Amino acid sequence: MKLSKVLFSFLAVIAFFPFFNPGLVSAQARPANRVLLYTSVPQQLATAFGNAFMKRRPDIRVEIYRAGSTEVGAKLAAEREVGGIRADLLWLADAPIYYDLRAKGELMAYISPEAKHIPADLRDPDGYFTAGRLINMIIAVNKEVVPLKDAPKSWKDFPDFGKKAAMGNPLYSGSNFVTVATFVKKDGWGWFERARAKGVAVVRGNSEAADALAGKEFAIAMTLDYIIAGLIKKGAPLAIIWPAEGAISVPSPIAIIKGTKNPDASKAFVDYVLSKEGQEFLVKQEVIPVRGDVNPPKGQPSASQIKFLPIPYEWAAENAAVIRERFEKIMLH
Amino acid sequence: MTTSNFDRRYLLMMAVGLFILLVVIYPLWQVFFRSFLDAGAFSLKSYRKVFAYPAYYRALLNSVWVSCVTAALCMVSGTLLAFLVVRTDLPGKKSLRTLLVLPYALPSFFAAIAWIQLLGPQGYLARLFFQLSGWETAPWNIYSAGGIVFVLTVHYFILVFITVAGALERMDASLEEAARASGANTYRIMREITLPLVLPAILAGGLLAFIGALANFGIPALLGMRARFFVLTTSIYYALAIPDFGLATALSSMLVVVALVSMTFQFALQKGEGRYTVISGKSVRPSELRLRSMRYPLFSCTAVFVFCISIVPIFSMVLTALLKYWGAPLAQASLTLEHFAYILKLDTGRRAIVNSLFLAAVAATLTTFVGILISYMHVKARLKGSRILDFLATIPYAVPHTVIAIAMILAWAKPPVSLYGTLWIILVAYLAVYLPFAVRTTNSTLQQIHNSLEEAARVSGAKIFPRLRDIILPLAWPGMIAGWILVFMPALRELTVSILLYAYHTETIGVVVFNLQDAGYREVAAALASIVMGLLIVGNTVIRRLTGGAAGF
Repeated sequence: MKLSKVLFSFLAVIAFFPFFNPGLVSAQARPANRVLLYTSVPQQLATAFGNAFMKRRPDIRVEIYRAGSTEVGAKLAAEREVGGIRADLLWLADAPIYYDLRAKGELMAYISPEAKHIPADLRDPDGYFTAGRLINMIIAVNKEVVPLKDAPKSWKDFPDFGKKAAMGNPLYSGSNFVTVATFVKKDGWGWFERARAKGVAVVRGNSEAADALAGKEFAIAMTLDYIIAGLIKKGAPLAIIWPAEGAISVPSPIAIIKGTKNPDASKAFVDYVLSKEGQEFLVKQEVIPVRGDVNPPKGQPSASQIKFLPIPYEWAAENAAVIRERFEKIMLH
Repeated sequence: MTTSNFDRRYLLMMAVGLFILLVVIYPLWQVFFRSFLDAGAFSLKSYRKVFAYPAYYRALLNSVWVSCVTAALCMVSGTLLAFLVVRTDLPGKKSLRTLLVLPYALPSFFAAIAWIQLLGPQGYLARLFFQLSGWETAPWNIYSAGGIVFVLTVHYFILVFITVAGALERMDASLEEAARASGANTYRIMREITLPLVLPAILAGGLLAFIGALANFGIPALLGMRARFFVLTTSIYYALAIPDFGLATALSSMLVVVALVSMTFQFALQKGEGRYTVISGKSVRPSELRLRSMRYPLFSCTAVFVFCISIVPIFSMVLTALLKYWGAPLAQASLTLEHFAYILKLDTGRRAIVNSLFLAAVAATLTTFVGILISYMHVKARLKGSRILDFLATIPYAVPHTVIAIAMILAWAKPPVSLYGTLWIILVAYLAVYLPFAVRTTNSTLQQIHNSLEEAARVSGAKIFPRLRDIILPLAWPGMIAGWILVFMPALRELTVSILLYAYHTETIGVVVFNLQDAGYREVAAALASIVMGLLIVGNTVIRRLTGGAAGF
């Protein structure tokens, strides 16, 4: 009978667990003035930013749900089936999904007073969404595997590295999807067919590409600038190359969901993201700002110094499924 | 008297049936009927798609052969190790046993990462090999079908090990004694007495390993992509990403069909009833087999195996937690404790530990309880229709976790009963995910208890609940605790379900580890996983102390 005593005392202990965390028992036991943010922005960044906002506006509580683009997409799809999206705010790196949601009438139009400081090509003219940060798809090099002078200077040369080159999978990551769509709209599928023939590796996402590069599994990788900048800061022997044709600058838009129960607090959050103070906070976290009057992080070129490829958003949104399927067939099967 | 007896048992059955309906059938139905929908109308388009593209065919075949090989390897290694650890005088077997079970607490994508770190093209072992041999590439490749089978086997053999070890412990030694007294040699006793007696446990464990490998996503996702080797679960994930909901559910249905076929197969193999009842009235503790001259050679083999599959990946994880960044040279200068300090200062990290402990403990307790009831009705009472319950309760094991999470949103996120955004929806999802484990392990436990004991009680006038309480439960304890741990450990680190269902304040350990990992904070993620591992070791020691070694590993 000793066993059952152990079991019962154990059960008694876990029965008290919910009292340590009162918020988890019911969704209702929460302050009225809260906004729920769905995001694929890295957890630390999203949390730190939410805290900075709440310091400004102590009357509002920001609650963050963070997952990969695909998970957020699946969650949104399931929620739309059962009574609508629960989030108040959406901040992803998958720009085309906003066009899709706008078409389905899921977004609320809001032109922030701060929006005039943001270049017109980084926001929706009707105010359904506005870029909140920029992340750049670049070529990263491990200098210990390939000398910097032998590294590719352009996207065109990238596939020549064959098995020594890695890229993220657009079926996992929103920013990779935008990149693939940009390449395909510009030059068709030829680049990918060549990459496949030469054996370019497709890895999960940008973090894995960066990690495997730092771990010397690859010589070069197509990945995001801020991840590489973070690794360089920690001492990894990596370098960033801005490709000759232009980097792909993926805007990470912020939007308000139409069904929000708290439009004023949601608007306040959007205003803060786009404000000078908000953008300067992001810069401190190595993020490229969207405002022309905020300087980029140290050692990073400003938006005007880099060449960018134009991104075909609406085309990408309309053809999202076709592009992903075709990529799967060429690169993965 | 008999009628009232019968009524009560059917009452119990209805209660369990209602539980399965709410937790398993209703949510999964929500997904399943959508696989026949196209823009709101009935259509077979998604299923036609599955058979139109050879890639999906191939994914199906890959899933089946990878899971078959994995299950076979798990059955061989799990049974051998269980036998060595339980029935022989192997030195240090208590510690070996704990070490064997530990890696199961690693999240499966973490296990894959640990192995990439070791065996990857630039892993620690590969680098050691380059230095020793002077070669430029390693003769093995972890990014391959073989690599997937290897990591899956290391991850799932434990399911066979635990069920077989439990069966060996509960075994009545008198049969073996009788054979020995009649002059049979050890080999013959093993082959003709011991092996047939533990066969249900081997098969039950093998089935768990088979379906586990079939439904695993983390390992083939990390190891298969570079080799362009796809299985059903990775294809389902892509279908969700495209997004093609119909295709994803159609592929999931195929996964369920494969699992159901394998279950039917196992059920058919186990039909011969009575052969496996081992625990009867007077139970003698099985004797230890003396290994004699083989004692130390076998010990070395087991120790090397344990070292490779347990100590090395755990060490590799702890090492990652201590490194400044991944791939940093292994010099003292690049070691740091800052990642541990960071995670303990993080609100989310502490909250996740509390939430996951709560969810895992409640899920393990409830599923074990329901599992023993289902098994009782199916294996012992043999009530009409109980077999269907048993079958239904096992289905979710074959459904990819992402699909289960979506099913839970579809079923339990709309009024009047909205659990969405609370811890309870994660709990319901865990109950669905882990009920099959509990049912399979309690099934093999009960199969070993002879009917004569319960019948004696019944003849003496004991009713159903006293019989369960006084006869069945005390005899099934060790098996139930093994089953409990089999649920608790993976639930503690569950990711795929929680990532879709968590909300602010209901983060789980898996979610936090994944989000850290995904943002490139691999070292911090490893630190959290190391802390969880530490908690499990402490918890296990406490359980063992409190129960005098009767429970725990």
